[in-house]
Amino acid sequence: MSEEVDAYYPVKPECQADIPKIRFKARVGKTLSARRWNAAISQDGHLDIAGVLRRIQRGGIHPSIKGAVWEFLLGCFDPNSTVQERNEIRERRRKQYATWKAECQKMVPVIGSGKLITAAIVTDDGQPTEDLSANSDSQDSNIAIANNDTVLDKKVTQWKLILHQIGLDVVRTDRALVFYEHEVNQAKLWDVLAIYAWVDKDIGYVQGMSDICSPMVILLENEADAFWCFEHAMRRLRENFRCTRSSMGVQSQLNILSQIIKVVDPKLHQHLEDLDGGEYLFAFRMLMVLFRREFSFVDALYLWEVMWAMEYNPNLFALYELSHDSSAATCKSDKLTIDNKLLKQYGKFERTNVKTGWTDQKSALAVFLVASVLETKNKLLLNEAKGLDDVVKVLSLLSLCACDIYAEHEHLHFPKFEA
Amino acid sequence: MDSPSSQESVGFDYLFKLLLIGDSGVGKSSLLLSFTSDSFQDLSPTIGVDFKVKYADIGGKKLKLAIWDTAGQERFRTLTSSYYRGAQGIIMVYDVTRRETFTNLSDIWAKEIDLYSTNQDCIKMLVGNKVDKESERVVMKKEGINFAREYGCLFIECSAKTRLNVQQCFEELVLKILDTPSLLAEGSKVLKKNIFKQKPPQPDTSSSSCC
Repeated sequence: MSEEVDAYYPVKPECQADIPKIRFKARVGKTLSARRWNAAISQDGHLDIAGVLRRIQRGGIHPSIKGAVWEFLLGCFDPNSTVQERNEIRERRRKQYATWKAECQKMVPVIGSGKLITAAIVTDDGQPTEDLSANSDSQDSNIAIANNDTVLDKKVTQWKLILHQIGLDVVRTDRALVFYEHEVNQAKLWDVLAIYAWVDKDIGYVQGMSDICSPMVILLENEADAFWCFEHAMRRLRENFRCTRSSMGVQSQLNILSQIIKVVDPKLHQHLEDLDGGEYLFAFRMLMVLFRREFSFVDALYLWEVMWAMEYNPNLFALYELSHDSSAATCKSDKLTIDNKLLKQYGKFERTNVKTGWTDQKSALAVFLVASVLETKNKLLLNEAKGLDDVVKVLSLLSLCACDIYAEHEHLHFPKFEA
Repeated sequence: MDSPSSQESVGFDYLFKLLLIGDSGVGKSSLLLSFTSDSFQDLSPTIGVDFKVKYADIGGKKLKLAIWDTAGQERFRTLTSSYYRGAQGIIMVYDVTRRETFTNLSDIWAKEIDLYSTNQDCIKMLVGNKVDKESERVVMKKEGINFAREYGCLFIECSAKTRLNVQQCFEELVLKILDTPSLLAEGSKVLKKNIFKQKPPQPDTSSSSCC
């Protein structure tokens, strides 16, 4: 089991020097192994989620089963469902994805072709650009849509305008990995993001989403499955990506971060404020792409799964399936009715939330994680940081390894903090 | 870990704040990396804003350059707009192999500067990047020169990849800043006060922003 996990996500030899050191190691008796995983699923398919969570929180998930486990962690499936039920859901979702993809393909034939575009295909007013090298048939459909209603027309244009932005980012995402040397894999990532942008028109595509999506595309071979895994991850993260004229969604998490530091370390908060860092914008990227840029690929995945395990709520699937509106997330089951056995099906972080009745969705574990990073760097920040440049420098050299963070946040008693 | 403020930061005559703007994928971060660490590599898209410091001797002066690098996507404008404040130099980057990145300079980026730059005398510089891809070039040097003349800014073509003209780009900009008395004054004045404090004074002196 202690084999090299990075062999699962090979890095191009010329990029070895540029990537952060990998710290994650699969550890016997701690990491969720394939054998353990299979043993946790009963004959009819029922998953012992409590046992699985316990393992993940101790040592992450072995790369050979990451994709399958993530689907549960993110709430794609109910751990109490049967294999049969899950197969049906999977089939239904794959069909849905195929329908959306066909819709998109009709408008822009490059989608699903194994290629992608990095140059604009339409101008701001929706007219096709001169350069149609990759966009041969789309003119007809463009005209067809133009005859339809104008609201849809606007949405189509908006979506088409974002496609080359996605392309520009896809060709720059995880470039160190051998996986993305192949154009068809880049195209897979591009397709998933393009179709997501079409389906979730409120958010569309915002830079950073390619960082979130890329691991799903690598872990789940089937493109539709990768899409749904990403779509479920986005249910947690999408508010961060919401942009209005005056602010970006992630700023509400930054506000909470600011309040946390103000309470747990007023001196540090004051210091940061003196450096004009009171808005905590230096932590913007950590929250947007969940530490992907601070850690190696392997370590970031490890961190994510530990976080998701800790935040796990057994009602996730039901909440997602029953209602698509966000208010459902707040009507968690009454804390009084939860017995001890059920409580074990919650991740550590969520369990405390349930006990204390804490329901603020914005105080995600990630916010506390950033807080704990700031706390670990407290002395350096206080004594050495004379400007925001130093703050950024200190934080870019995160020597904290993912497993340390786990130990770290154990003594940060999150829900005791009252905003 | 080394202390972040190593001895190089102790002595400098002026601190200048520079800002990199321009469309997504034109090479802003690569240009910055090429300047600050003499290296080139495939970089991931910038999320929000990024930041680097470079100590340099230019025009006989010891300088600390604080260079802010911004995300190109339109969605980030609400965030990036606040970084124009107090910049002594703004570098507008386009990709000589992609025409729209050049046309967007007048359509979008120049307007952003007018809207958000608080500094009347702020020096602007137009940079055409990726000249190493000469065979793919679609924006001619003459067009860059004309735009710069019309807009009243400096101009240079460079390649972050081969590092051609990268040092010159920042040097020319900084020399011009050093030549401008009001900017020079700002660069030294901030030394005495907090170097990154550039918010306008709040009407209320208490800092009770929340609760």
